[in-house]
Amino acid sequence: MQLEHRLSVPAPVDEVWSALLDPERVAPCMPGAALTGVDGDTFTGTVKVKLGPVALTYKGTGRYVERDEQARRAVIEANAKDARGNGTVTATITIALTGEGAHTYGIVGTDLTITGKPAQFGRGMISDVGGKILEQFADCLSTKLGPDAAVPPGDGDAATPVTADGASAGSEVSTPAPSTPAAPVGETAPVGETAPVGETEPVGETEPLDLMQYARGSALRRVGPVIGLVALVVLIVAVALRRRA
Amino acid sequence: MIPAAFDYVAPTTLDEAVAALRDAGDDAKVIAGGQSLMPVLRLRMADPSVLVDLGRVDGLRGTRLDGDTLVIGATTTHHEVRHDPFVAEHARLLTEATATVADPQIRHRGTIGGALAHADPAGDLSAPALAVDAEFTVIGPQGSRTVAAADFFEDYFTTALRPDEILAEIRVPLHTGWAARYEKFHRVAQQWSIVGVAATIDTDGGTIRHAKVALTNMAPVPVRARTVEDALVGRPATVDTVRAAALHATDCTDPMSDANADAEYRGHLAQVLTRRAVTTAAGL
Repeated sequence: MQLEHRLSVPAPVDEVWSALLDPERVAPCMPGAALTGVDGDTFTGTVKVKLGPVALTYKGTGRYVERDEQARRAVIEANAKDARGNGTVTATITIALTGEGAHTYGIVGTDLTITGKPAQFGRGMISDVGGKILEQFADCLSTKLGPDAAVPPGDGDAATPVTADGASAGSEVSTPAPSTPAAPVGETAPVGETAPVGETEPVGETEPLDLMQYARGSALRRVGPVIGLVALVVLIVAVALRRRA
Repeated sequence: MIPAAFDYVAPTTLDEAVAALRDAGDDAKVIAGGQSLMPVLRLRMADPSVLVDLGRVDGLRGTRLDGDTLVIGATTTHHEVRHDPFVAEHARLLTEATATVADPQIRHRGTIGGALAHADPAGDLSAPALAVDAEFTVIGPQGSRTVAAADFFEDYFTTALRPDEILAEIRVPLHTGWAARYEKFHRVAQQWSIVGVAATIDTDGGTIRHAKVALTNMAPVPVRARTVEDALVGRPATVDTVRAAALHATDCTDPMSDANADAEYRGHLAQVLTRRAVTTAAGL
């Protein structure tokens, strides 16, 4: 089936693009995902999916089959198999980014094939859950790429001007500093205080920022199970169960 | 298939149950009647390391009146709820809806708390609980809290219950003497609802005094059909009133398309079933 979702991150398109191309930066933001290896354009990992009583562990590989720097378009092919034999998932994911100043919009198209129990399922639920996962992913990226992100020294210039407020409902308390690099403020993303790179320790942040603290420097965070990209499959499974009546 | 191995704990008090759940950590699961959980375990779509069985916990099963509230223990079976005199008199909608759940074997083991905590969008008890403005008593390591039905169902199979919490009671304001009807559409006997409508009405000499209507499987969570209710309350209890009101059944809904029905058909079902349910509940 064909799904389409939209992505919105309050960070410049260059940063979002480079983050998306790096599985080691994508994985920590994908709920329930853990990277087990990266080899050039190919990466392997597991996605633990928990929804209601069902918990599946999908193991698989992904590959960047296309990267168009000019058009900011990437295509990833992924396939995974449930560890306990509950079916497989294959997906071709096409991401196209457009930047508008300090904000990035993306269209994510997914060509999804599901086998096994999940096969008897409706696209509505999959699409909804896929959308929510992408939202979580975008929120997570926002926190990592926004101005409150504590960028490790030497990791490039991450002078994003607008506070990434969209991450969670928590209030953000950043310490403004006079030496903030000039950049356009007041995009569609909520207006916040600008913060210098690598210096701010926002107080009273909610979860997403904690993620950032762990991901600082070269230590990459392996996120534990929550709801994975294939959560939709779980739903399918759970829904499919009742069809057995 | 048989389930993967697990440890089993059968506490006899709620405190023990909460402690057992907390001690077992992330990988524990509460089991009551097991009518949703056991198939999942047998298919090996989950392998919790510990099952905390609520079946022997004191005080979680049965019904009682508490002032102007009917209290139903979470591990009360569907069969017990269906035949309970308090429920029949004060929350008839639950009696009606529970009668449509699955089959007798499942009704003798499955529990109302389990069904609500499972939060299957097509489950037959969520919409009735929402319609009667039930409140849920939730117990966890931090103590007890009350969650209104409107806040309890968050998403597909997702509720406000935290992983270390247990649903203990369903508290229902008395709807003494209200008529009720649960219309459920399904193609196969004992199937989950393709769409279901829960309606409970209080009429007074030919006028609809109160109306509460909620829909099953028209969204990831049960939906309260407020615009239908608004089109009924204060109006004369006639076939025309009901027909006009039922057209609002699709307002604020988000039905999915699946192998059983597409969204448009579900919308049509919602309107038809609302008309039928309200007609019956209004005594017409």
